[in-house]
Amino acid sequence: MGLLLALAAVLFVDVQDAQAEYGDVVINNHSDGAGMRPVIFPHWFHRVRFACKVCHADLGFKFKAGGNDINMVKIIDGQFCGACHNGEVAWSVENCNLCHSAKPGTPTQVHESTIQKLAQPVGAPQKK
Amino acid sequence: MKKLQLIASMMLGLAAAGSASADSGKDVYTKVCAVCHAGGIAAAPRFGNAGDWAPRIAKGVPTLYQSALKGTPKGMPAKGGNLTLPDADVKAAVDYMIAAAGGAKAAAAEPKKEAKPEPKKEAKAEAKPEPKKEVAKEEAPKAAPAPAPVAVASAAAEAAPAPTVSAADVNSFNRLLKPASKRNLPPAEDGIHDPSNDGTHALQPPLAAFGSLPKSFAGNRVNWVEAISTGKIKPRYDRVDATAEPIIMDMNVVREVKGSMPDVVYPHKQHTQWLDCSNCHPAIFTPQKGANQISMAAILLGEKCGVCHGKVAFPVSECRLCHSKKKDLAPSAQATAK
Repeated sequence: MGLLLALAAVLFVDVQDAQAEYGDVVINNHSDGAGMRPVIFPHWFHRVRFACKVCHADLGFKFKAGGNDINMVKIIDGQFCGACHNGEVAWSVENCNLCHSAKPGTPTQVHESTIQKLAQPVGAPQKK
Repeated sequence: MKKLQLIASMMLGLAAAGSASADSGKDVYTKVCAVCHAGGIAAAPRFGNAGDWAPRIAKGVPTLYQSALKGTPKGMPAKGGNLTLPDADVKAAVDYMIAAAGGAKAAAAEPKKEAKPEPKKEAKAEAKPEPKKEVAKEEAPKAAPAPAPVAVASAAAEAAPAPTVSAADVNSFNRLLKPASKRNLPPAEDGIHDPSNDGTHALQPPLAAFGSLPKSFAGNRVNWVEAISTGKIKPRYDRVDATAEPIIMDMNVVREVKGSMPDVVYPHKQHTQWLDCSNCHPAIFTPQKGANQISMAAILLGEKCGVCHGKVAFPVSECRLCHSKKKDLAPSAQATAK
C-alpha cells in the first residue's frame, strides 16, 4: 500500500491546479507516445445518459483508469468506446479532438479522486 | 462622426452599467459565452478579436444586445442558450466582450481586468496596448502576495499563474478549499482540457447539464441517486434499447461497525439502479454476509467501496450517507453504569 501511495504521489504531482470535474478520467496509455493529446472521459456526461452497468458490465470496462488497454484499432472494431462511438449510438471516431482533448503530458488519473487527494493534498507544496 | 457617436454612446452605456456589471459581465462571459466565443465555435465572433467584432459593433450596441437576448439565425442561441439569465447579465456580458474587442478604446477609463489566466493569441490583436498596461499596474499589487508562499516552497511558482489557493489574503478562511467559483468549470478552463484544442470548446460545460439536477455537497455537487429516483435523468440500462429496465434488488445489508460510529446500511436498491450484480460480485465483494473485510483505509485507497466512492460516486467525506443507522445503546452498559 505504501508503494501504491508513493506511485500515486509520483503520478499525480502535476495536476495541482486542475479544476476539472469530479470523476473525469484522463487516459494517457498511448496518446503522448503517439503525439496525440491524452483522452479525457467525462464520467458525469455519460452517467446522465447511461447506467454504469452498460459500460462496466456489458462492454467490459474495468474499474481502473488506464486499466483497459484501449487503442483506436479496438475502438474502430467496435470494442470499448467503439461500441457506441460508431456514428449510430454516438458520434464516430473521426471526431478525434472531442476525446483527445487533454493538455499534452497529463498523466492517467481519475480527477479529484480520494487517492489523488491523499497523495497530493490540496495546497501542499508541489513535490518535483 | 458616426464613430464618435458610437463611442460616446458606449461610454454612456458602460458608465451607466457601472463596475458591478463589468464584474458580472466577466462572470457571465466565462460561465456561458466563453464556450463559443473564446474559440469562435460556429463562427461566433472571437473574444478579444477586433476584426470579428468591429462590423458587429458598427451596427450599434442595442443591436448586439438584441442578438444576444433573442438569438440570431446565424447560430447565436437566445441568451447563449441559458434562458434563466437575467437580461441585465446578458447585456453586461455583451459589454464585457465589446470592451475586450476594440471597444476597449472607449472603455479605457474603466478598471478592466484581463479576461483569462492564459490570454489567447487573439486577445493580443492590436487594439489595446494602453488598457493592458493599466491593468498590469492595477493587478500587480493584488497579485503579489499570492505567489509569495509558493515561491518559497519551490520554483513551481511559474507553473502556477492562477494560484488556486488564497487568491486574496494569506489569512483568509478556507484557504485550502476549492471555492464555489472553481467548481464545475467549462472544459476550456478546467485545467486538464487543452484550451487550444478546437474540440474542447465543443464539449458540454458541466453546469449546462447540472442546472436542473438535485444538488449535493460533494463530488460533482449533483445528487445522482435522487436524480435517477425522481426521474430527472433516465440513464439507459442498455446500450441501444432505451426501454430496458434495471433489475432492482431491494435488500439492505447492515454492517455493524466498531466504536460509536453509526452502523453502515448498504442499500442494494440504489446500487442496482446503476449497476449489475457482476460489477461488484464476486470480484470486489464476496456475496456473503460477514465475509468481507472492509475498512475506511481500504476505501480511501480505492478498494472495496472505494472502487467507486471517492472516484465517481459520492466521496468518503459524506460519512452519514453510509453510516446511517444509529446504534442502540447497549442495555448491559447502561445497567452497569447504574
